[in-house]
Amino acid sequence: MEEEKKQLTLVLGVIGADVHAVGNRILEYALTEAGFKVVNIGVMASQEEFINAALETDADAILVSSLYGHGEIDCRGLREKAIEAGIGNIKMYVGGNLVVGKQDWAEVEKKFLAMGFDRAYPPGTMPQQAIDDLLRDFGFTQKC
Amino acid sequence: MQLSNKKLDWDQFLQIRQEVLNSWPTGQEVDLEEAVAYQSRIPAYRRFAEKLEQAKKEGITLAQPRAGVALVHEHIELLRYLQDEGGADLLPTTIDSYTRQNRYQEAQSGIEESRSVGRSMLNGFPAVNHGVAACREVVESVKVPVQVRHGTPDARLLTEITLAGGFTAYEGGGISYNIPYAKDVPLERSIRDWQYVDRLVGYYEERGISINREPFGPLTGTLVPPCISHSVAIIEALLAAEQGVKSLTLGYGQCGNLTQDVAAVRSLEELAEEYLGRFGYHDVVITTVFHQWMGGFPQDESKAFGVISWGAATAAMAKATKVIVKTPHEAMGIPTKEANAAGIRATKQVLNMLKDQPLVEFKELQSEKELIKAETRAILEKLLEFGDGDIALGTVRGFQAGIIDVPFAPSRYNAGRLLPARDYQGAVRLLDFGNLPFGEEIKEVHREKIKQRGKAEGRDPSFQMVIDDIYAIGKGMLVGKPR
Repeated sequence: MEEEKKQLTLVLGVIGADVHAVGNRILEYALTEAGFKVVNIGVMASQEEFINAALETDADAILVSSLYGHGEIDCRGLREKAIEAGIGNIKMYVGGNLVVGKQDWAEVEKKFLAMGFDRAYPPGTMPQQAIDDLLRDFGFTQKC
Repeated sequence: MQLSNKKLDWDQFLQIRQEVLNSWPTGQEVDLEEAVAYQSRIPAYRRFAEKLEQAKKEGITLAQPRAGVALVHEHIELLRYLQDEGGADLLPTTIDSYTRQNRYQEAQSGIEESRSVGRSMLNGFPAVNHGVAACREVVESVKVPVQVRHGTPDARLLTEITLAGGFTAYEGGGISYNIPYAKDVPLERSIRDWQYVDRLVGYYEERGISINREPFGPLTGTLVPPCISHSVAIIEALLAAEQGVKSLTLGYGQCGNLTQDVAAVRSLEELAEEYLGRFGYHDVVITTVFHQWMGGFPQDESKAFGVISWGAATAAMAKATKVIVKTPHEAMGIPTKEANAAGIRATKQVLNMLKDQPLVEFKELQSEKELIKAETRAILEKLLEFGDGDIALGTVRGFQAGIIDVPFAPSRYNAGRLLPARDYQGAVRLLDFGNLPFGEEIKEVHREKIKQRGKAEGRDPSFQMVIDDIYAIGKGMLVGKPR
């Protein structure tokens, strides 16, 4: 990222009772390398922890991972909690194995966008994709 | 009281037991004497320990899937399908992630929502919520033994309910179900809670009912060197044996290099015999389980079958007693029952083709076995030293000091300083040893092999190399190539 531009702060975590730690570690590494300030709240993070971390660090975006299939239950209401906390406009991205079973991705994506996420990513997405989208969504024209 | 590897006093056990059974209403359904009577009526063909022992004698490898859904009847349908259409030799009941964290209220919501939307909203079977009678309905609905598979740091209530419910095998352990499965559970606590589990299993043993116990081998499933998972397996074997467990299946997760994987399975059994014998546990039957690749899978189903079949071949060549099977949906999460059965059929085809082929022996296999044994002994001996001869205490202190360390684990009670990477031939080595108590001779083997790879790839070994390795199999390779 160019130095005169504000460094974006991202809250990163794995939601619910999910303990998948490997992708979280890789995302932290890749996002930091790409020049973002990463606030990693780690695995087994509750909705409240995401919102509190975003409030405390004045974050620009919340990045939610879910690998174990309970994403649908765990993510519901996160946007409403953000609104209640006065950060209703914060960008929210979600990705992973979001539902139980192999379901049509277009349907899954629609479900998560309807929940208030700005973007949803299917299984197997590489970190670079999210990095490119973040830069685009925040109006950065130049790649890191 | 200081933690130690001592058999839990029965009165003390009963005291703790009151609390455990009171922690959720279904706990009241457990009547230990009635449960013993029920277990004693289960026929031999539905008993896990018997079937494993028989397979070990015959030198064959049994196939077992993972599977579990929210509702009882759907779960029964799933298990029957895997038995009839997949040909599973052994069956599982995989427990959902809320139950694993003792969040029974959320599991209850998941059950109710699954009922209303008509599909499973949970990633497993919430056995505690369903209770004893439902568990019995499950195990009675199939013709093969069924094991509880989960990832629960405090599994005491789950054990009470599922053993009373007729399951004849139980996965997990105080280290293997804490360090990879929790963020904030002290090791001392999870080891104690699993001493309770093993004591209960030991009680069933005293009453003539053999319940198989299986420490979870693959840990984080991500580039775990054999010496790390072997150390954990042997510690948990010692802890279980002290509480009276007699049937133990020790596990290892496929790394991908045939020589290393075969050496790992064979050395695991030999090391376990050595340590159990040394501490005076002579009447324990040791069998082995090989887990097909636990890391990231290719999205393409044909490629996934390639990974599955290589795991099956390795399990057969290592003569593991059983193999845990993956599915072509692995990259997408929880599989359908059809995909799950397809994984078992692919596996069994390979197992059947290889079952009569003799053990392979070659020089490199021998030296790999010796290396794994030397590494594992270095760790275990240091842990014993740290615990003044007590392995339970030594384990807690050893984790604090990073003497034993699991790569990529979520737990804050794990040092997390190891950095594993593949060597040029795809075997998992260590790029950073953290505080592992290895001598220079062992370290030099790792350095040399990783250096060789760096040279071939024209780059210095770094964290990027580790990331490339983590993604490699998903991208169609074993060793991660530079981008």
